Amino acid sequence: MGDMEELSGDLIQGTLEILILKALVRDAMHGYGVAEWIHQTSQQVLRVEEGALYPALHRLELRGLLDSQWDTSENNRRAKYYQLTAEGKKRLAAESQRWARLSSALAFVMQMS
Amino acid sequence: MRIWLRVKALFRRRRLKRELQEELAFHQAMMREKLMRSGAEPTEVQISVRRQFGNEDRWRERLSELWQFRWLENLMRDVNFGARQLRKSPGFTAVALLTLMLGIGANAAVFSLINGLMLRPLPVPHAEELAILRVKPGKYGYAFCTPLFRGLEKRTDIFRNVFAFNWHIFQVRNGSRNEAHGGELVSGQFFQALGVAPQLGRYLTPEDKPGRTDLAVVISDDFWKTWFNQAPDVIGRKLLMDNVWFTVVGVMPQSFIGVETTARPQMYVPLATEPLVDVPFNFLDSGYRNWWLRAGVRMQPGMSIEQANAALRSISSPIIKDAIPDPNRRFGDVTRDAMYIAAMTGTAGYSLLREQFRSPLVVVMVLCGTVLLLACLNLASLLMARAAAREREIATRLAIGATRRRVIQQLLVESMLLALLGTVAGFVAAPFVSHALAALMTNSQPQSAINTSMDIRILLFGAAVTFLCALIIGFVPAVQVSSGSLQEQMKQGSQSVRAGRRHRVLTHVLLASEVALALTLVVGAGLIGTSVLRVYQDGFGFDPHGVLIADLNMDKQPLKGEPLRLFYRDFAGELAHIRGVKSASYTGIIPLSGNSGWDDWNANGKKETLYESLIAPNYFETMRIPLFSGRDFAWTDTASTDPKAILNQAAAKFFFPNGNAVGQIIRDSDGKDAKSYEVIAVVGNTKYDGLRDAPPPMVYRAITQNRLDKPSYTAMLRVEGKPGPIVDAVRDLASRLAPDIPAPIMLTMDRQIDEAINSMRMMAMLSIFFAVCALLVTGIGLYGTLAYSTSRRTSEIGIRMALGAQRGQVAMLVFRENAVVALTGSVAGLVIALLASRALVALLYNTSTRDVPVLVVSALLLAVTASVASLLPALQAARVEPMTAIRHE
Repeated sequence: MGDMEELSGDLIQGTLEILILKALVRDAMHGYGVAEWIHQTSQQVLRVEEGALYPALHRLELRGLLDSQWDTSENNRRAKYYQLTAEGKKRLAAESQRWARLSSALAFVMQMS
Repeated sequence: MRIWLRVKALFRRRRLKRELQEELAFHQAMMREKLMRSGAEPTEVQISVRRQFGNEDRWRERLSELWQFRWLENLMRDVNFGARQLRKSPGFTAVALLTLMLGIGANAAVFSLINGLMLRPLPVPHAEELAILRVKPGKYGYAFCTPLFRGLEKRTDIFRNVFAFNWHIFQVRNGSRNEAHGGELVSGQFFQALGVAPQLGRYLTPEDKPGRTDLAVVISDDFWKTWFNQAPDVIGRKLLMDNVWFTVVGVMPQSFIGVETTARPQMYVPLATEPLVDVPFNFLDSGYRNWWLRAGVRMQPGMSIEQANAALRSISSPIIKDAIPDPNRRFGDVTRDAMYIAAMTGTAGYSLLREQFRSPLVVVMVLCGTVLLLACLNLASLLMARAAAREREIATRLAIGATRRRVIQQLLVESMLLALLGTVAGFVAAPFVSHALAALMTNSQPQSAINTSMDIRILLFGAAVTFLCALIIGFVPAVQVSSGSLQEQMKQGSQSVRAGRRHRVLTHVLLASEVALALTLVVGAGLIGTSVLRVYQDGFGFDPHGVLIADLNMDKQPLKGEPLRLFYRDFAGELAHIRGVKSASYTGIIPLSGNSGWDDWNANGKKETLYESLIAPNYFETMRIPLFSGRDFAWTDTASTDPKAILNQAAAKFFFPNGNAVGQIIRDSDGKDAKSYEVIAVVGNTKYDGLRDAPPPMVYRAITQNRLDKPSYTAMLRVEGKPGPIVDAVRDLASRLAPDIPAPIMLTMDRQIDEAINSMRMMAMLSIFFAVCALLVTGIGLYGTLAYSTSRRTSEIGIRMALGAQRGQVAMLVFRENAVVALTGSVAGLVIALLASRALVALLYNTSTRDVPVLVVSALLLAVTASVASLLPALQAARVEPMTAIRHE
């Protein structure tokens, strides 16, 4: 289905997916939690649009990188919790490496000028 | 991609929707709470959430699209639509399904026969390691003599196991029960080689030899159930077979059938007991005089047939020399030293029927395939004609934005649906046909069967057939949609004369090939049918109609020698007294039964191997064979009088070309005790060994002068009226006069002859059946397409008539369209038939592949079919009322 191309070709979407995977590395979280985590952890720099977040979550689930289950939230509501699958963890590790190489290369290029 | 997630979603559409809604609602609730915590007004909160979140429905749609199985859902929609289309025209659907069912059903049936006879592996572990041995070259084929087999059996170094078997009919008795059951005499390694464990007790091993232990018998599951009522304590029970007591040592599982593909043996006894059960014969110790065994091997794992053959070639010669010490011994025209042993694959077991039916079945399969091809072409042309009516629908769909691919896919799904339904219907019908055919093929052999049940090969065949059908049928819509300017057609209106000219050409090509194929089939069926008719027409030299055959088996009763001869005489006298019996006699060999006997004869300086038959007085009268000169045998021609012989015309002409054979002497060249026979009569020629062969020269000898100790003969009765009561009377008489012999097996001579050309008859019946199907299918095709195309020309016809065309001219106009198609098809068909029928040469009797009457009649049959099919639409066209037709536009 060309998912790899999507990930490597579309930086924004690819980045969002890494962020989601990263957000879920410790605990299972619901969609709102993921958005909040990214917002908080990036010191309010990154804001994830809901219109992008949920399709990305569902796509990751369909690709088997995420698992989901319904559970009770901190305020006693039913919420859909996402967590990393083994495959998701592997992907996250690979993507983090790629990301580190890419960002240091970018930083290097930017310093040159 | 987690396909199963999507499949799950497909079936839980509503739940998926609810969950998406809930997830989004949760998110909104969390946002709301956060805003509230930061002290916003409730109305403000609502607006702000709405602004940030946007249109909820669009959201849901986007998300649920992610979960969709686009192509699967499209497919389901297409199937639904296709089914609706088929329901909308039930007539078309019925015809389509019927033709497909016929075609596919026949193919499946014939294939399952071929499968059962040639492909299905024996139900034993690693059947592919089995091989059947044969002696090459020469006419002994699959037969082995005891010493040759024993020589092979001793070579344990090449094959895992070497085994032999021979079919034997056992007379099983218990009190009043006296039944005949087929079983096998098997050599020591037989069961080890097959490697199937018994369900009870043990199987036979090389240790089972007479004298050493009780005589052991292993019985089949079937026999266990019918004879022993499935008694659990059957092991150790005694069984009286052929007047010999056996002890049951094992019961084989139900699936076990030995190594003969079509035989269903009820019991297995050690080969070494043959002299006991075969009394008065002893084939086992008869050296190389009797070639009575079939032999096989289990090869080492991984050994190929080529390797087996190479190994056999290297050991053949010493074994054969050892088994047949006489170096000058010839078998037919094969010398001892030219003989060698070969192996052929035995995966599917050994079968005589296979040899007999291989080429007929292949021919039938080809005929079947042709009918199916015809059915598909027919459907294609009908679809084509129908498609014309749908051009508008398709053009509209294209115009409002459907892609060409989607439209083709939809049409393909429709054809696929037809093919699938047809296959299902065909496979439902197939078992009935295959059972009937299998019964036809095995009716001459007792306790035999062809396993035609479903297996993986039949399923694969079915799948392949469905796929091919769908491809042929489906190619129409593809052509149709890609054939270009549909929009153009929409502009012109559906009634346009020019619409789909290309389609018309294609339809005509399809129809013409249909006609050609049908004609080929009809010619083939005609040739085969004519052959069978000519076999009967040419006659046999005797009159089989009204002759009853009663097989008497004297082996196991006490009379022998002179008293037995007297019994035969008296029994014949009693038989002749039964109401409805005109005369009675005996023969050693029933003509055309597949059995034959021959000997070397010389007279008048000439020597020849001639067929011979032992007969009793009144034989010629009973068989209605003309006696040209001399006298018949008499009961007084006993062994103490001079030997007498009767020649048929062909033999008389051969030995005594100057005529006057009666009174001459002929000698059988049976080595040192050659005897001289006086020729006492000359009789008419009769067919003897093969129905297709001309009547051979032959010699008759009298059973009254036969020196055999305990011969079994077959009673021949000339009867009048219904055979039923006479059969009962004969059985009665036999049980009264000879209570020790098994109830005689009775048959009419007509039936015997039917069986002698069984394979030919089966082929004739099938090919005629297929030819009729082909004619029907072609007729339907011609009618259907012409009716469609005519209905589309209604307005044109109306205008023609309004301008003054006569009804006759209009009818002719329509009729001509098909006449051209039929004519081209016929010419092509005749050419194909002339080329293809060469493959039939070996199966024909006295009929050339260019038999003019057959060709003419076939062409006429097709012409009549085509005319009838075309006349109906033509007449319909002639009835068109010009005013209504024009207003229609």
